[in-house]
Amino acid sequence: MFLHILKYELKNGLRNKDLIIWLILFPIVLGTFFKIAFGSVYEKTEKFSTIPVAVVETAENQAFRQVLESIESADEPFLSASFVNKEKAEKMLDDGDVEGIIFSGDKLSLTVKEKGIQETMLSAFVKQYSVREKIATDALTAAPEKAQEVIAALTGETVSSCREIPLTQGNPDIYIQYFYNLIAMVALFGCMTGMHITITNQADLSALGARNNCSPAHKSLSVLAGFAGSCVLQTICMVICVTFLAFVLRVDFGDRLPLVYPAAILGGILGVAFGFFVGSLARVGEKAKTAILMTTTMLLCFFSGLMIGNMKAFVAEKVPWLNEINPAALTSDCFYCLNLYEDYDRFISKLITMAVITVIFIFLGFITSRRKKYASI
Amino acid sequence: MSNTVVKIKDLVKRYGDLIALDHFSLEIEQGEIFGLLGPNGSGKTTTINCLLSLLSFDKGDIEIFGKKMTPVSYDIKKEIGIIMQNVAVFEELTVYENIDYFCGLYITDKAKRRACVEEAIKFVGLEDFRRFYPKKLSGGLLRRLNIACGIAHKPKLIILDEPTVAVDPQSRNRILEGIQQLNRDGATVIYTSHYMEEVEQICTRIAIMDKGRKVAEGTKDELKRMIKNTETITIEILELPEKVYGEISSLPHVYDTSHSDGKLSVYCSGGKHNLTRVLDVLQKNELGFGRVYTELPTLNDVFLEITGTALRDKED
Repeated sequence: MFLHILKYELKNGLRNKDLIIWLILFPIVLGTFFKIAFGSVYEKTEKFSTIPVAVVETAENQAFRQVLESIESADEPFLSASFVNKEKAEKMLDDGDVEGIIFSGDKLSLTVKEKGIQETMLSAFVKQYSVREKIATDALTAAPEKAQEVIAALTGETVSSCREIPLTQGNPDIYIQYFYNLIAMVALFGCMTGMHITITNQADLSALGARNNCSPAHKSLSVLAGFAGSCVLQTICMVICVTFLAFVLRVDFGDRLPLVYPAAILGGILGVAFGFFVGSLARVGEKAKTAILMTTTMLLCFFSGLMIGNMKAFVAEKVPWLNEINPAALTSDCFYCLNLYEDYDRFISKLITMAVITVIFIFLGFITSRRKKYASI
Repeated sequence: MSNTVVKIKDLVKRYGDLIALDHFSLEIEQGEIFGLLGPNGSGKTTTINCLLSLLSFDKGDIEIFGKKMTPVSYDIKKEIGIIMQNVAVFEELTVYENIDYFCGLYITDKAKRRACVEEAIKFVGLEDFRRFYPKKLSGGLLRRLNIACGIAHKPKLIILDEPTVAVDPQSRNRILEGIQQLNRDGATVIYTSHYMEEVEQICTRIAIMDKGRKVAEGTKDELKRMIKNTETITIEILELPEKVYGEISSLPHVYDTSHSDGKLSVYCSGGKHNLTRVLDVLQKNELGFGRVYTELPTLNDVFLEITGTALRDKED
């Protein structure tokens, strides 16, 4: 009997267009949108990368050539210079192969095509070099005997009193939080399949529920099979979502991707349990319950920072307990901990919290939906 | 050994101050097609829901197959087939899958179940639609699917709660014939409706409900014998002098008359040749008239006489 009900729960669910749209297509579309919107922002604004530049020597400048060679020999060079003639340099700039052209001769000059961070950095580099070259030239003219000291002073490294200690080897991309929240939202959308369990098993909610209640199938068995079916459906959706983000959109989940899957699946089951609990609470129609669940889900996602990036920090400051019980925040935090911290303590702690809340929702759902006789239908 | 399949005794159901069932009692024997007739809100569906242990009630006892009915009476539920007023099927399952799903809640043996599903499909005439999804079916076909889901497991007691609401005449006739066939095959049937013609057509015994009470019970002939009216004669006649009207009113067996909108209605109680006597009066007074027709009493007349309101008026 259990397998019979489970089989048809899965068939019914997998053919449900709403489920396919909201749990599979919607995250794919939104994830792609996020990737387009934020994917290159981090690369352009936050992450350092070598700036390609063309160098046209209008006159011999051995010192500048040596400086460039010295820069390029570093592990992560600031720029990569191509020594070419003017025509070739201009073509490279037009084609976007280089960010600017440095004309090297008696004086340095810079030609760029656009205004941007990399162009600004090139400009600062050229200005700084010109100033230092002027200082060195003036100093050597005024006091040639101090040439070594002047050169040493100009080329010496700046001593810093601060040292960077990284918390993690993980991905520090601040925009990845949006993808975590997206997975959390899909997980929470599991509440729709969870609610379906109560709709089809409560005689006062639907004709299907009444018919099922008239059958000799034990109600607890029927509810359990429905719950198992919803969990399987939600798991399929979560696996598709994470796989699409990781392998199609190439969202960087770090080297712990295998752990993202169980976390996402647990988040999905939490969503199902949440829907099951809410569905069994009030005696209102399916449409009203759907509206209540969707509103609640979107609110929880809002507080977890899906719509406004720093909302979670705001909630953490004003109502810290909300982040500890908000299923959306818990699920996204779970991924964040996994990606950001070296150890697994926080990740495991979040997983345990999610599991406990899931069990509470399931327990309360069973308690409130176990009734077999109704005051009115 | 008792042949009573359903026994409802002194059932009371209240919704706040509203009394939905007022000391309602009923006994249904094996092999009957028992009709529960009454206007909307008379308590028919409430009775069915209490009978199925879906609804709690304030007072009374319900027994099915001689056993007390409770929500966990799974052995009793196994023998009941229910066809709800609202269509109860899965939108994303095909006709075959829907019937198989519900049949599978009663029959675990796959081979037996397959045979039952095929038989049910054939019974309701959905052979050409077995792979169709419910949303592709017309209202009548959807009702037939609803019935197939309720009877596929060959129940001993079939409860049909207004199964022909919003159904085309062709499907309605098919459904009614099907119910009679199920009864011939051995099932006891409880049929609720506010369509008196249907109840009159198929039911072997009828209970008339009004305001949660059983106002009459018996076969259709027994019910009709309960009332005064045995014949209603209607004659289209525009002008009817007072003298002639009085003469017709005083004819033997005529207990009431009315003349409005060009129609003369003559209500008779017993007697023979009532129509001939009325027409003789008109001819004697050289009065022309149009169409003439005579009607035997209907269940609506029974309802009208017992409750003071026509069943049809209540529907309006």
